[in-house]
Amino acid sequence: MSKFYQARMSRRESIKRLSAMTAVVMVGGVPVACDTAEPEASKAIGTPPAGHWPGIELKPITGPGYGTDPIVSAPTIPWPLTLNEAQKDQVAVLSDLICPADERGPSATAVGVPDVIDEWVSAPYSGQQRDREQIVNGLQWLNDEAQLRFESDFVALTEEQRTAILDDIAYRSQYEIGQFELPARFFSRLRRLVFGAYFSSPEGIRDIGYIGNVPIAGDYPGPTDEAMEHIRQVASNLGLPPITEYVNQQ
Amino acid sequence: MASFDGFEYEVLIVGSGAGGGMAAHVLTEAGVRVLLLEAGRDYDPGTETPMFQQNHEAPLRGSSTSEKNFGYFDATVDGGWQVPGEPYSEAPDSRFMWWRARMLGGRTNHWGRLVPRFTAADFKPYSTDGVGTDWPVDYEEIAPWYDKCEALIGVCGDNPGLDDTPSSSEGVLLPPPKPRVMELLLKSACESLGISAVPMRRAILTKPKDARQACFWATPCGRGCAIGAAFQTTTSVIPWARQTGNLKIVTNAMVKEVHLDDYGKVSGVTFVNRLNREDVRVDADHVILAASACETARLLLNSKSEAFPNGLANSSGQVGRNLTDSLGAGVSGYIPALRDRPKYNEDGHTGNHLYIPWWDREGQKNNELNFSRGYHFEVGARFSSPGMGIAGAVDGYGKQAKNDIRSNFGTNIGLSLRGEMLVSDDCYCEIDKETVDQWGIPVLKFHWKWSDQELNQVAHGLKWGRKIIEAMGGVVNNPDRTAEEAIEAGGQIIHEVGTTRMGHDPSTSVCDQWGQTWDVENLFIMDGGVFVSNPHKNCTITILTLAMRNATRLAEQINLSMER
Repeated sequence: MSKFYQARMSRRESIKRLSAMTAVVMVGGVPVACDTAEPEASKAIGTPPAGHWPGIELKPITGPGYGTDPIVSAPTIPWPLTLNEAQKDQVAVLSDLICPADERGPSATAVGVPDVIDEWVSAPYSGQQRDREQIVNGLQWLNDEAQLRFESDFVALTEEQRTAILDDIAYRSQYEIGQFELPARFFSRLRRLVFGAYFSSPEGIRDIGYIGNVPIAGDYPGPTDEAMEHIRQVASNLGLPPITEYVNQQ
Repeated sequence: MASFDGFEYEVLIVGSGAGGGMAAHVLTEAGVRVLLLEAGRDYDPGTETPMFQQNHEAPLRGSSTSEKNFGYFDATVDGGWQVPGEPYSEAPDSRFMWWRARMLGGRTNHWGRLVPRFTAADFKPYSTDGVGTDWPVDYEEIAPWYDKCEALIGVCGDNPGLDDTPSSSEGVLLPPPKPRVMELLLKSACESLGISAVPMRRAILTKPKDARQACFWATPCGRGCAIGAAFQTTTSVIPWARQTGNLKIVTNAMVKEVHLDDYGKVSGVTFVNRLNREDVRVDADHVILAASACETARLLLNSKSEAFPNGLANSSGQVGRNLTDSLGAGVSGYIPALRDRPKYNEDGHTGNHLYIPWWDREGQKNNELNFSRGYHFEVGARFSSPGMGIAGAVDGYGKQAKNDIRSNFGTNIGLSLRGEMLVSDDCYCEIDKETVDQWGIPVLKFHWKWSDQELNQVAHGLKWGRKIIEAMGGVVNNPDRTAEEAIEAGGQIIHEVGTTRMGHDPSTSVCDQWGQTWDVENLFIMDGGVFVSNPHKNCTITILTLAMRNATRLAEQINLSMER
C-alpha cells in the first residue's frame, strides 16, 4: 500500500511561511479564509501561532464496499486500511486523551478504538471519506501546530504540551475563533468517532450500563421498582400529574 | 388454467409484500392455485436474520452507508433509497425518495410494524371536512376485516376509545407491553397539556401464535425477526401459502409488462429473469398487481396497447396520479432530570410502547386550525445499544466528557410526527421518457410539491412537540427550526400510496372498491396504490386488510366459476 501522505522535515518552516504570506489556504480544494496576523511561533504554552491548515487533498478511495446484500450474519470488511504507522500512533495518543481509563472503564486504546477509526476513515462511502479528509488534515494540523509551538511532532510532546493545544480546539465555542475553526471541527469529529467506538465496544456497553439484547421469556418486565420510584419523583419535582401504570382498556 | 414450468394456476400475483403475500395466503387457503412473481431474491428470515448481533460485530459499528441506508443489520436486500441499476428521477424542483427492496417479502421484512386502524372519518374525508375524495368503502364495512386481519397477523395494543383510535373487537388484540419510564413521564406531561399518550398498536406477538413464538424483548425489528414474532410475510402468510401446495414462487422475476388479449382481458405478463437477463412470457387468467404503489403504476404505464395507449387500465388518466406519503418531521430534546437515571432493560419490543394519537378533531371541526387532517407522534426514548452517534452532544475531552456521555445515556427523546398530506395535482409519478433501468424498463419520474396545508401542519406539530418536551422539563434541540426546514422529503416516510386509487366513478378512479380495475375485468390491484387518501395512520395494516377482503371475494368468484 502506498502512503498517501509523506511527512516532511521542513514542514515547520513552510507552515510559518504559508501562514504569514497568505490570507487563504486550500482545504480540499476549497479556499478558506484564515487569520492573517503575523505568526509568532512561541514555545510558551497558551500562545498559539496564527491560522494554518494543511489542505491535504486525498485521492478518493474507489474500492468496493460490502455491497447491498452482504452476509450480515458473517460480516467482512473488504476495504484495505489506509492510516500509516505514524498516523495510527497519533490516533492512539489522541484516543486516550479523549477517552482515558478511569475507575468505571478502560481506555480507548485498550478496547481497540484506533483500529475502528482506521477502518472508518478507510471505507469507500462518502460520509467516511469526508471524515477521512478531516481526520488526516487534522492529524497533520496537530503536528504542524506542535512544531510551531514546541518544535516537535504531537506524539512526542509532554502531557502538558498536548493538552495546551487540545484546550484550544476541544470545544464547540472555538468554531468561532477563526484560526481554530477547522481544527476544532476536526476534533469534534474525532471525539465523536472515539467515543462512539469506545461505548459500542463490549467493554463500553458494560461501562455505560446498557443491559438489553438478552432474550426474556414471558411478558416484558418493564421498569424496576427503583426506576419507577425515580420517575415518580421526577414527575413530582416537575409539578406533573402523578405517574400511573397504564391500565389496559381492552 | 394457465401453466408455468409444469405448475397450473388460476391467479398470477406480482409482488410478495403486504398485499401480494396476503392475497397469496387467502387464495391458496381457498384452494385457488397461485403463481407468485417476486422481483428480488429468495429470502429466509429463519436463517438470515442477524439476531442479537451487536454494533461492534458489524463494519463501521453498523452505521448507515449508501449501501445499507438503515444500517448494516437492516433487513433490506439490494435496495434502500437506491436499487443498483434501477434509478428513478425527480422533476426539477421536486424532491422524492423511493425506498425499495429486492427480496421475497419486500418491505415487510423491515417495516416498523405500527398498525393503527383508520377511523370512520378517515374513510370519508370529503364528507368530514369538504376536502378531497371519499373512499368507496366505509369503516363499518372494513371493521370486521380489520378484526380478522389483526387476529391473523397478531397485533398487540389496546382500545383506549379515543376518536382517533377505533377499537378492535374483544379478544382480537394481544396485550401491549408495559411502558418504559420515559414513556410514563411523557404520558404524564401529555396529561398536563390535555392530550393522551396510549399504547401503540404493533404487529408484534406478545403471546405465542400458531407456529410463531412470542417476542422475547430483544434485537431490533428492522433486522427482520427469525422467530416470527414481528410480522413479515416471509415468516407467516408466504410459508402458510406454500404449505397448501397451491403456491409456486418465482424469484428474481422483474415484471416489465402486462399483456392484453383481443377481448380486452389480461392474458399474462413478461418478466425479466434477473439472473440471465432473459425475457420470460407467462400466461394468466387473473392478474393481481401488488408490486407497491409506484412500481404497480410504473408497470401499468409501461404496458401500452392500442386499447390503452396511455397505459393499461388508465382510461381515467389517474394511474400515477394522487401520489401521497405521510408527512414526516422530528422534534427532539433531552431531559436533564433523567441524567444518571436507574438502569434496567428498556429494549421492550424495540419500538415505541406508547404514542400520541391525533387529539384535535374538535378544533378542526370548529375551524380553529389552519390545516385539515391530523398527525400522530411516535416516540423514541430509551436505553438502546450504543452506536457511533452516542457522543454527538458532548463537548471537551477526557474524564469529564466520558462521564457526561454516561450521565446522558437514556436522556434523549425524539418525537416523530407522522401526518396526513392532502391529495394534490402537484404530486404524481410518470414514465421518464429519457431513462431506462438495467433491464431496459423505462423508469419513473416523480413530481412533488408541499402545499401550505402540509407546512401548517408541521408547524403545529413542531410547536406541540416542543411544548411536550418542555413539559417533561426537557431542553429542545433546534428550537427555532421552521416547518420548511423540518419537513422530510416526499417518500421519505415510505408510506407512498394512491397511484391507482379506487372509487365509485370509472372516470376519476382506476379500480373499484374490490381492487378490480374498471377497464380490465381480470386485472386487480392489491397494494397501497388503491388508497383514496393517506390518513396519518401507517398504511400497511390497511393494505393487508383490503388485500385480505378483496382476495377473499376473488377466491369466491373463482371457486364459483369452477363449480359451474
